[in-house]
Amino acid sequence: MFEKRLYHHIDWGLLAAVLVLCAVGLSQIYSATGGWTQIVETQIYAVLLGLVALTVCLSVDYRTLADKSHFIYLAMIVALVYVLLFGTVRGGARRWIDFGAFNLQPSEFAKLALALVLAKFVGENRRGGVSRMDLVVVGVLTAVPLMIIARQPDLGSAALLIPVAFTVAFVGGMPMRFLGVLAVVGLLATPVVWQFALQDYQQERISTFLDPSQDARGAGYQQIQARITVGSGGVWGQGFTEGTQGQLRFLPVAHNDFIFSVLAEEQGFAGVIVTLGLYLFVILRALESARLAKDRLGAYLVLGVLASFTFQVIYNITMSAGLAPVKGLTLPLMSYGGSSMIATLAGFGLMLNVRMRRFTN
Amino acid sequence: MEVTEDRRRLTLRMTVLRVGVAVAFGALAIGFWSLQVAQHERYLEMAENNHQRTRALRAPRGVLFDRNGKMLVENRRSFNVSIIREHTRDLDRTMRLLAEVAQIDPASIRDTVKRHLGEPVYQPILVIEDASLAQVAAITARGLDFELPDVLVEEVHMRQYPTDALAAHLFGYVGQASGAQVRSGASAGAVVGQSGVERTYNTLLKGQDGERHVVVNSLGREIRTLDEVPPTEGRRVQLTIDYDLQKATEDGFRHAGFNGAVVVMNPSTGEILSFVSLPGYDPNSFASGIDRATWEALNTDELRPLQNRAIQGRYSPGSTFKLVVATAALEEGLIEPDHVINCAGGASFFGRYFQCHLRGGHGALDLRHAIEKSCNVYFYTLGNMLGVDKIHEWSEKLGLVGLTGIDLPNEQESIVPSTAWKRETTGERWYPGETISVSIGQGQVSVTPVSMAVMIAAIANGGTRVTPHVIRAVDDGGGWKMATPPVVAERVAFRPETLSALHDGLWMAVNASGTATRARIPGRDVAGKTGTAQVISNQGRLAARGSGRDLRDHGWFVFFAPKENPQIAGVIFGEHNEHGYLGAPIAKHVIETYFAKQEHQPLPTLDAAPAPDMAPERDPDSILFVDSSPIEGAAPTAGTF
Repeated sequence: MFEKRLYHHIDWGLLAAVLVLCAVGLSQIYSATGGWTQIVETQIYAVLLGLVALTVCLSVDYRTLADKSHFIYLAMIVALVYVLLFGTVRGGARRWIDFGAFNLQPSEFAKLALALVLAKFVGENRRGGVSRMDLVVVGVLTAVPLMIIARQPDLGSAALLIPVAFTVAFVGGMPMRFLGVLAVVGLLATPVVWQFALQDYQQERISTFLDPSQDARGAGYQQIQARITVGSGGVWGQGFTEGTQGQLRFLPVAHNDFIFSVLAEEQGFAGVIVTLGLYLFVILRALESARLAKDRLGAYLVLGVLASFTFQVIYNITMSAGLAPVKGLTLPLMSYGGSSMIATLAGFGLMLNVRMRRFTN
Repeated sequence: MEVTEDRRRLTLRMTVLRVGVAVAFGALAIGFWSLQVAQHERYLEMAENNHQRTRALRAPRGVLFDRNGKMLVENRRSFNVSIIREHTRDLDRTMRLLAEVAQIDPASIRDTVKRHLGEPVYQPILVIEDASLAQVAAITARGLDFELPDVLVEEVHMRQYPTDALAAHLFGYVGQASGAQVRSGASAGAVVGQSGVERTYNTLLKGQDGERHVVVNSLGREIRTLDEVPPTEGRRVQLTIDYDLQKATEDGFRHAGFNGAVVVMNPSTGEILSFVSLPGYDPNSFASGIDRATWEALNTDELRPLQNRAIQGRYSPGSTFKLVVATAALEEGLIEPDHVINCAGGASFFGRYFQCHLRGGHGALDLRHAIEKSCNVYFYTLGNMLGVDKIHEWSEKLGLVGLTGIDLPNEQESIVPSTAWKRETTGERWYPGETISVSIGQGQVSVTPVSMAVMIAAIANGGTRVTPHVIRAVDDGGGWKMATPPVVAERVAFRPETLSALHDGLWMAVNASGTATRARIPGRDVAGKTGTAQVISNQGRLAARGSGRDLRDHGWFVFFAPKENPQIAGVIFGEHNEHGYLGAPIAKHVIETYFAKQEHQPLPTLDAAPAPDMAPERDPDSILFVDSSPIEGAAPTAGTF
């Protein structure tokens, strides 16, 4: 199954950048949690497990996976429903399946399953471009897991499915006027969503974002602290493990959602630029894989997986600087979190897979 | 065809995505640049403000000593609990928990906090002053200061005054700087002297607060100390007060059973040896943050315990004022000491009859005997000869006009009328008939006990108007340095005849058949003069009958001893004690204590039982008629005896 020549076509550059980002993440977790803690160890195991998942996703031809995508998709739905019914509750949300030794968060893998099934569906229809009917199917395929995840509730993870569907549909040839229609509908829906779909705390998060000082001790606290953390870093940073905001816990969940803030504080603008550069390199390199892909299936698969990754990176970093409402979204590759790390690396496995097999039949 | 079309569209749309991503990252880079480079200073300051705290290290106030080095006012360690709203997450919860743990009324915390809501949030609000050890233990055991980052438990130095309210009005009290004091330079939340010596010498006593910069975590827990500037203790100050004399004075008053004021001093220097105003208050209750109820009670008490009677109370000097008239007449050369006037129990001036207190009259007497017997007619006559302006002039020379300049805050001006004074204050002209009342210390003469002390000191020392003061020496860290004594306000060398006549008369008042024999101490040659200050005119007394006001007269006793080269002089003012001679035993006890100390003898003690009531004794100072209203040419209205 794994041919030797494929080995030469692995995008080592991309893989290296990914691993560097993991290492940067690890070092900042080390700093934010105050040394060599269990959290650091767990993260190391997560990276190792992620590399295993990456290798697995690399080894099987993506076309084979795509052929089985409907099963994978269904398995994913089942897992999500199972979580909804029997999952472990933490922090008021039911997101995890308890495997004893570790907890798994199926919503992290939903992105991959969705990318796979959508790539298969859009990439293999022979009509060229996507019809209205196709868009409906794409919409439904996306909406089902999205609704389930949103019920956990985990609005952040649920929202990550939208860029997957949108990107696949977009590159698949979605008519441009459709974009306009979507934009109009979105605008019109905003007040309705605000009124009926958002919980009080969610409304508060957003209104607080617009004016953090109105609730400087409550919801606005994290946002203000995030800005202080980032801003106090200056050009060269406070130095490794020297950042006061993260070290003294003024910034909550510093090793998790706000890992980038800690990086900005301790490594300064210089560190930020280097890290941003690494992420940009990873994303553009992956986009290149999509361009080089042998078939539309491959291209769409890469873009689908990359879409949620990119969206999450940009959103999290924006939030880390206190420039977006606080939402429980981790920074892929850097934040502490096993499921996220494994799923992300598995996703990179899929992307490498496509590029690696660009010359095969 | 279709495939290439497809491929081209894919390429195009991927380019759109690529550009989109690049733009997003560019925007992020700009965002971070703005925060980290452009606004770095601002956020760095906010970060430091987050984790750096300045903890004030309160300087202990300077210790006060008496003239012999006995410690009078010291400090003890105590704990204050404050709320710093800057670090508050939930004020209601903080107040609730604090009240619960410290077991105090939540409403009182709420009230305190409410009163200070207008202040800046970084300003600690003191909610429990001088917390008990149990409270501090409960708070720290509960970890409230960690759980609630806005709760600050601070060790402070609390002023410790003598427990028996000794010299309360002299020491004054301390309290948190008021708004006005903060505006004039005191640091907010600082403890400053609010009255007495604490206030006058606040700059010396306050010391220099230190501060400690600490790093705290988000829970307010101190992680480490960055640096520390230790506080400098306030200067140690030695007062001119003699503890034993002070105690003897207060004991004497307690023994006599009335309120009043005393100023005892060294007549040649103005050093105050004993300073009393009664009723007093407990300055310790201010030191530990006076509660509203106590404050209200002190302020509404009819006896006005917060009034420093010695420098703020103004009273008619009564017969003691005759000394001023005598001095003026002698120094102006109007009479010689052997000038004889016949007292027939009264005399008429300007068509009005003024009585002497001795109905049958004193007969013919010279100045010495007039002072001894306190003959009204003699001094009516002298006053009439002098005129009010001369009386005013000599009053001023003797220190009875305006301020004495004592180094205690809020002294009231003493008043002795003059024609100019009356014109300025009432716009009316002076009627010569008013001078008659003035010449026996009634009418509009209104003086403070401390000014009376200056007057008697001047008579004792031969004409030098000293400036009374309570500071003796200051320890500036390098040992005691004598404080510069205040300049002598005025020096008029009395003629020897004047001096001997005054001293003889005053000696006779105590040691012959005078009015102040209760102050007699064999061998000490005490000289003194009693006086009774009418609280209200006889007509007014009738009108005010039944109003519940205490209308009883005040009694004065001014004294010095010994007659030759006086070492001690002073004034005893007895509030509503009716008779000046009742102050004499207090003076006697003070003088005995003074000499016992000088000669290293055991200090005298007062009999446990109050002095046997020697009354009814005729009081020579009772004023029979005083009315400063213009003469109406009416028939003399004799007051009741």
